[in-house]
Amino acid sequence: MTTKRNDWRATVGQMTRMGLRYLNGRRLRTTLTTLSIVFGVALIFAINLALPSMMDAFKQSMSSISGADIRFTSTSGVSFTPESVLPQVSGVAHVQAVTGILSRQFSIPTVENGALGSAAQIQLIGIDATSATAVRQFAMSEGRFLQADDSGAAVFPAGIADFAPELKIGTVFPLITAGGLKLYTVVGFLAEAGSPSAPEIYIPLKDAQAAFNQPGLINTIEVSIGAGADREAVTAAVQAALGDGFQLAADTNGADVVGSMEVGFAIFDLLGVLALFLGAFLIFNTFRTVILERRHDLAMLRAIGATQRQITVMIVIESLLQGAIGTAVGLVLGYLMVVGLVGVIGSMWQTYFHLPAIQLQANPGAFVIAIVLGMLTALLAGYWPARAAGRTSPLDALRPTTTASVERAARWNLIAGGGLMLVSVLMLVAGAKTAAGGAMLFLIGMMIAAPGLVIPAARLFSPLLTLWFAREGDLARSNLVRQPGRAAITGSTLMIGLAVLVLAAALVSAFTGLLENLAGRSFSSDILLTPQSVGIYSGVIGADDSLATRLRALPSVAAVGTMRYAPSTVNSEPVQVLGIDPNEYPKVATFDFPQGDAATAYSELGSGRTAFITSIAQSTLGVNVGDEMVLQSAEGPQTYRVVGVANDILTFKVAVVFISQTNMAADFHKSEDILLMANLAPGADKQAALTDVQDIVKDYPQFTAQLTGEYRQTIVDLSASAMMFFYILALLIIIPAAMGLLNTLTINILERTREIGVVRAVGGSQKQVRRMVTAEALLLGIFGSAMGVLTGVAISYGFIGAFGAIGWTMPFAFPLMGIIAAVVVGVLLALFASILPARSAAKLDIIRALQYE
Amino acid sequence: MAILRTESLTKTYGSPDKPIYAVNELNLSVDEGEFVAIMGPSGSGKSTVLYLIGGLERPTSGKVWLRDSDISTLNDDALSRLRRESLGFVFQFFNLIPVLSAAENVAMPLILDGVPRPEALKLANEALTRVGLADRSSHRPAELSGGQQQRAALARALVAKPALILADEPTGNLDSRSSDEVVQMLRQTADDLHQTIILVTHDPRVAAYADRIVFLKDGKIVDDNRLKGQGNADQIREQLTKVAFS
Ligand SMILES: Nc1ncnc2c1ncn2[C@@H]1O[C@H](COP(=O)(O)OP(=O)(O)OP(=O)(O)O)[C@@H](O)[C@H]1O
Ligand SMILES: [Mg+2]
Repeated sequence: MTTKRNDWRATVGQMTRMGLRYLNGRRLRTTLTTLSIVFGVALIFAINLALPSMMDAFKQSMSSISGADIRFTSTSGVSFTPESVLPQVSGVAHVQAVTGILSRQFSIPTVENGALGSAAQIQLIGIDATSATAVRQFAMSEGRFLQADDSGAAVFPAGIADFAPELKIGTVFPLITAGGLKLYTVVGFLAEAGSPSAPEIYIPLKDAQAAFNQPGLINTIEVSIGAGADREAVTAAVQAALGDGFQLAADTNGADVVGSMEVGFAIFDLLGVLALFLGAFLIFNTFRTVILERRHDLAMLRAIGATQRQITVMIVIESLLQGAIGTAVGLVLGYLMVVGLVGVIGSMWQTYFHLPAIQLQANPGAFVIAIVLGMLTALLAGYWPARAAGRTSPLDALRPTTTASVERAARWNLIAGGGLMLVSVLMLVAGAKTAAGGAMLFLIGMMIAAPGLVIPAARLFSPLLTLWFAREGDLARSNLVRQPGRAAITGSTLMIGLAVLVLAAALVSAFTGLLENLAGRSFSSDILLTPQSVGIYSGVIGADDSLATRLRALPSVAAVGTMRYAPSTVNSEPVQVLGIDPNEYPKVATFDFPQGDAATAYSELGSGRTAFITSIAQSTLGVNVGDEMVLQSAEGPQTYRVVGVANDILTFKVAVVFISQTNMAADFHKSEDILLMANLAPGADKQAALTDVQDIVKDYPQFTAQLTGEYRQTIVDLSASAMMFFYILALLIIIPAAMGLLNTLTINILERTREIGVVRAVGGSQKQVRRMVTAEALLLGIFGSAMGVLTGVAISYGFIGAFGAIGWTMPFAFPLMGIIAAVVVGVLLALFASILPARSAAKLDIIRALQYE
Repeated sequence: MAILRTESLTKTYGSPDKPIYAVNELNLSVDEGEFVAIMGPSGSGKSTVLYLIGGLERPTSGKVWLRDSDISTLNDDALSRLRRESLGFVFQFFNLIPVLSAAENVAMPLILDGVPRPEALKLANEALTRVGLADRSSHRPAELSGGQQQRAALARALVAKPALILADEPTGNLDSRSSDEVVQMLRQTADDLHQTIILVTHDPRVAAYADRIVFLKDGKIVDDNRLKGQGNADQIREQLTKVAFS
């Protein structure tokens, strides 16, 4: 014989063929169990495909000032005094010229659009005309460039014509500044086109300093180098002269926007991983069912000479096939999601932000991550059932297993699963760090224990069943108890779906509770003045003292508190520094102090270099009350002592350091108010007062004035709609779980065809058979619901606890509504799933059923 | 020359202090090319003997010699290999994998052994031709009659040219016409290929085709008749009744 023996490829090829046919034979089931892989992969792929493309488009819009050889900014992004720095730089060898610039990119409020046409963002660049022209050439297409003694003059790049074609030499237009609206006159247009998204406006340095309320400060150093000098060497020399506090200008402008985009995307990534994790459980359960269902085929293969390993490989191949199908469909779906997303936000992106169109890049990383995660999920989910399949005895096809061994196995399951659950409960109560692990472990423990729980559960719930179904109820119970493994798989499939439902309900109520709690406490003021974007302050122009002074002057206003902003870093972790007045701020706003009391905290904030930090900052920076930390400031590194942990609704998501406004002015050179809050005098009419305030705010179009109550409601509503995600996730899991239930129930009936034949032969009516099957389904439904509720409570406790580790301490509210919903859904699903099997069982041909083996 | 020999083969079930003897100190020797039928009342240990010989079940004590090797000492992998290379099985139920065609089912032992698919399928089709199913090779089991399914199972048992074919009531589920077809096929295989066959059956008409009938009761051989293909169903039935009530 020419046969080449032991060629594993032939075997694997055949196994693949068989796997495909088995999957194809059960198309609905294959589709539904693959769905969770599809969604997980789609989410993860979409995010990793879209994110870099969007970042690129975004960053492209950020880097358009050109011309200088080298540009430096402070590491933290704060402004600084030129006198201490520029001379050091000009002293460096081969440095030809140096100039200081103060610039900021910000959104302009819509009321401003009149003059600047369709521009939504601008870059206001303050330059010292004399030194700047020495650093780079400004070629003009029309008019003149700025001159040393200019004031109120502005120069635009040629590309401004795309936004505001009416702008001519001599046009006078208003611009928002910290001191209110200020008028500028166009004196010239540059030859270069400038930024396609956020047009530059060049104004005299002094005007920019006034506009940002930063007299005497700059935030960028531009350097030109002599012909023939080595650019890298000069850059290194300049860096050495400037020291640690400075860095080559990256696109720091907008870094916090990019940062918050990344956070949003990370949450989606997490949802994707969660979907995959739950998908893994569903596939795991499906394969356990598949193995029971195919016991005869597997045993036959063993009898004709398949090794244990060959059987294992066969099942693993099948799960990998399912993973491959799910991953492939997920990639396509993910791509469509991205295309859809780009279609929807892309046009918004261009019209409102004037950002360059998003170019989707073929991003190998996105493919690799999505494919690896999708396949890994399937592999992990299929491996253990495959191992069990390998251990199928060839006699399984020929002889029934004895009940004694089944019971012994069930007892072992109970002991092992119970042990795991015990450990997991310890982890749950031990604290935030172990809570999430404890939640996962509980789920696994419950799955393992399930076969051992079938008998006690059946005993517990059977009085109920007897009451309802009489004799058929008893029959159903004994059916269930006879094959605890099968009942356990059905029950735990249902369990997963319901546990996720309970988790979703618990998370939503915890988050809503947290938000409402914070919202209720955060703003005690009556009127709130917010900038264009709340939370991201780098692109905001605030107001100088004039606004607060004018507000205080109103007779109806009793107190005004303000907030100021500066960027900084602690141990190179970026933080927002917010400046408050320890005397005024408590009158208009309230912090939630998880530790310590407010009065002492505020009094400490008034003396020396002291700070409050948010819980998130506490966990990301790893500092506590009493510790010292080093903030990068305009005056170099400064040591601040933490005197309190404080959160409010605007800051609980971000790492924030609160310091006194006195310290902010001294160390960060910032005295712009970016958020103002006003309390009214007792008895004042709110609506009338708001009208007065809005009158003043007309001069500061960067602010919007509203009643605090309204603003608070908007925030809560907005956050609530984000919670829908949790429910969608729950739905994604429940649908495949329902199919799993239907599936195992149907197999249950098929397996017992012969018994049902006996019941019918000895005189059972069709109705009785139907009742028997329904009763069994109901018992399974109750069993699964009970496990689902227990597990749901445990994992929601764990997950909510886990948020404590990142600083969000949320009270665990017992998810009563979720539990009720879970039980109702579970029982209804079970009944629904039993309709078809019950009918087909009742209709069984008695003779055929008796012959069935 | 004996191709198979059992030596005090014993299999007990249940707890060691109260054992149930399914097979009790059995000594059986089968010659190459012999077609042996095993008969006996229900529960007499027929199936168990077959499983022990086939390495599907491990003996409590005693030995099974296949040619020169003691299969009771082999590990699971070696037993699997032995089953696909040297043994062919036909059972009463679940013989075929429903998602595979008849030819693929027949080719399975070869494919498990690493024979490339085209070659395995070619050999499978030859085996199917031998059992008269050449035109059914691409059909799924569900598209075959019960008798055809059992013939396909026989083709699969034959495909690897095994030393021994073990059949446990292969006709138990068939009507008498299909049953005749299958057993005639077995007889023909024994004649044409000099194939050694051990067949368990309840049916005297089926047993009548064998060269030799071994009667079992309580796990022991109670009678051993050489018929040389001249068996008479009525005589066999009589003897079976005698054995059952002795
Ligand atoms: N797994 C097992 N556990 C316990 N006892 C068993 C097991 N398998 C077989 N037996 C017992 O061993 C004895 C022999 O069984 P076996 O199946 O070999 O009989 P058989 O002759 O094939 O019967 P039948 O003609 O009914 O198929 C019987 O008493 C049976 O109850
Ligand atoms: Mg038998």
